[in-house]
Amino acid sequence: MGANVYKNKKPVFFFLIPAFLFMAVFLYYPFIKNIINSFQVIPGLGSPSKGFNDPWYANYQRMLTDEAMHTALKNTLIMMLVTIFGQVGIALVLALLVDNISKGAQFFRTVYFFPIVISATALGLMFNLIFLYDKGMVNQLLEMMGKTTLTDWKDPAHALVIMMLPVMWQYVGFYFVILITGLNNISQELYEVAAIDGASKIQRIIYITLPLLRNVICTCVVLAVTGALKVFDFPWVMFPKGMPLGQTWLTGTYMYYQVFNTRNIGYSSAIAVLIVILGILTSKIVNAVFKEVDY
Amino acid sequence: MKKRIMALLMAGVMVCSMAACGQKAGNEGDSKDGAPKKADSISVTTTFAGEDGNAKNYKDACKAFTEKTGIAIKDSSATSDKTFKSRVATDFETGSEPDVLFFFTGADASSFIEQDKVVPLDEIREKYPDYAGNMDDGKLPGNLVNDKNYVVPVNGYWEGLFCNKAVLDKAGVAVPGADYTWDQFLQDCEKIKKAGYTPIAASLGEIPHYWWEYSIFNNTTLATHTQIPASVTEGNGPAWVQGMEDIKALYEAGYFPKNTVSAKDSETFAMFTEDKAAFLIDGSWKVGGIIAACQSDPEDAATLDQKKLDKFTVTYVPAKADSDRKATDLIGGISSGYYITRKAWDDDAKREAAVEFVKFMTTDEMVGKFAQHSATALKEAPKVENVASLQTIAIEMTSKTTSFTDAAQDVFNGDCRVSTFDGMANIVTGKVSAKDAVAEGLKAYAEQQK
Repeated sequence: MGANVYKNKKPVFFFLIPAFLFMAVFLYYPFIKNIINSFQVIPGLGSPSKGFNDPWYANYQRMLTDEAMHTALKNTLIMMLVTIFGQVGIALVLALLVDNISKGAQFFRTVYFFPIVISATALGLMFNLIFLYDKGMVNQLLEMMGKTTLTDWKDPAHALVIMMLPVMWQYVGFYFVILITGLNNISQELYEVAAIDGASKIQRIIYITLPLLRNVICTCVVLAVTGALKVFDFPWVMFPKGMPLGQTWLTGTYMYYQVFNTRNIGYSSAIAVLIVILGILTSKIVNAVFKEVDY
Repeated sequence: MKKRIMALLMAGVMVCSMAACGQKAGNEGDSKDGAPKKADSISVTTTFAGEDGNAKNYKDACKAFTEKTGIAIKDSSATSDKTFKSRVATDFETGSEPDVLFFFTGADASSFIEQDKVVPLDEIREKYPDYAGNMDDGKLPGNLVNDKNYVVPVNGYWEGLFCNKAVLDKAGVAVPGADYTWDQFLQDCEKIKKAGYTPIAASLGEIPHYWWEYSIFNNTTLATHTQIPASVTEGNGPAWVQGMEDIKALYEAGYFPKNTVSAKDSETFAMFTEDKAAFLIDGSWKVGGIIAACQSDPEDAATLDQKKLDKFTVTYVPAKADSDRKATDLIGGISSGYYITRKAWDDDAKREAAVEFVKFMTTDEMVGKFAQHSATALKEAPKVENVASLQTIAIEMTSKTTSFTDAAQDVFNGDCRVSTFDGMANIVTGKVSAKDAVAEGLKAYAEQQK
């Protein structure tokens, strides 16, 4: 035996196979099947296919003329910007602030991370009550301040903002924790040297913190952008079926709607494929823009 | 060493296999006298869950059945919505359907009836002649695939006009009666609006279904209502367009809640129960919802606020003067019941248990408990006892109903509904014309039928 035991790689494959099989059965097979489904006519979930579309790319062609799909794509794009600036941006500011305090840092970490552990459905119901037209918390507060008419926060004029606000709020804590871990990895000596050289706090952030945090920020942005494509629970609880007037569709909610409400499985499969393609493209773009740098 | 491990593993697999075989034999084998042994448990899926008025009755009945027979119920009931219907369809497609299913008989059931995955009553009666013997076969609901009967129903449904009498009183409007006309309804709505209340509680953005149905019904005839038109200019086509225009007119007159396109159904229902809206068109299942809203604990009937419940009544839906339909002609009927699946039927042990379960759940006494204020298919009308005041009013109303007509939307199902159901907000706000929306829906329906 001797050292030969380390040269034998067969046991490694033995331990890798279960995980691979799991991925193959629950991810790769459904994914490939989904691509095939996207070219077919399938009248209901679990129903046998009626055959391929005529033309075979009809479901993809439909996306070009489907107004609801255009709204979903536009809103998802806005959601991406909201996640980049609203989630990662706010998380970065909070992380920098908390990193500068010695007492209570742990308290703020817990407070900001807390919304992540609560079910998005429960939070959706809570925000529903907050923005309720009649007896909602916001309208009651406005009434106490002298406003005499009720505001419909879920009407077409406000719906998009009201939908994105809680999504943004919930995930700030997630990126906050990642960023603060990144900040902790920056050597204190660099700050001390900069302080001796007379650098102000702002200068230390601009010239030391942000460059050294670049890779972490890049990871956060990739996660945020790809996450925006999959947002579902919050919007569906607060604005089911793209309410009002189909203005709050997102790619995730529209795909679900096509499966469970209209039972157009072929079309929803095509939307799912588009979501994957967009996910790959956007993460590539983000990676290109925020190219990782070795210092 | 390797051999030992292998031997141990194989021994373990063998023990597990034998244990599994033993369990199967115990569950489904024949008894000593040769007669098929009943299964220890059966799987059942129903719509008696969530806010359904019969959810508690169902739970109690299952418990009583298990105590009586020793057969456990593996229940996977859920609130009846599109997700539930998709789940049932998927279960049948993937071979994981329950042994007994309480489900609808309309378009939603067509796929599994076509595939012979449920057993017709005739076939069951060949082996069990007294099966559903207490039912009047003439009243049993049919299906859209063939002429056979598959289900044993326990309750029917109707859709009526619920009224909040407190709001009507304050607006100086009388509770509508059996001869209520559309013009009177419009005048009443105007009075209610002027009194500062919302005339109609409805979420056109989420659940416009009841208004969709009656608005079309007011423009079709009793005989032709369920016929889906080929186009907007043929058959019921113009009536469908006019129906949508009627809802738009109500919206433009300001008779729906200000936030009707953005509010959820639960919000507009709350307006009705909290004395802010006067009328609500909904189904017989809403009686339970209104009673629950009048209880401080929705689960505990002892907490009922009778004074609050007395504010509510239910009556007939207004009909247009030139309509074939009278106000007393309602949408309703019997469109659901207990199916026994082919999978359970082909298994001797499961078959016995499934038949016994359906028999237990459809006795005269049990049907009376479940049906209460709705129609039944029993040969003899059930005795209804201990009902709330609103249920008594509902029984009184249905006893004077001149006809029940099936809902057209039970046939008009799936993708075709998008433009006029989910798109109702677009129609009333003028984003899409009624004619275009109906045409789009009919086109999708024609595609589905190919």
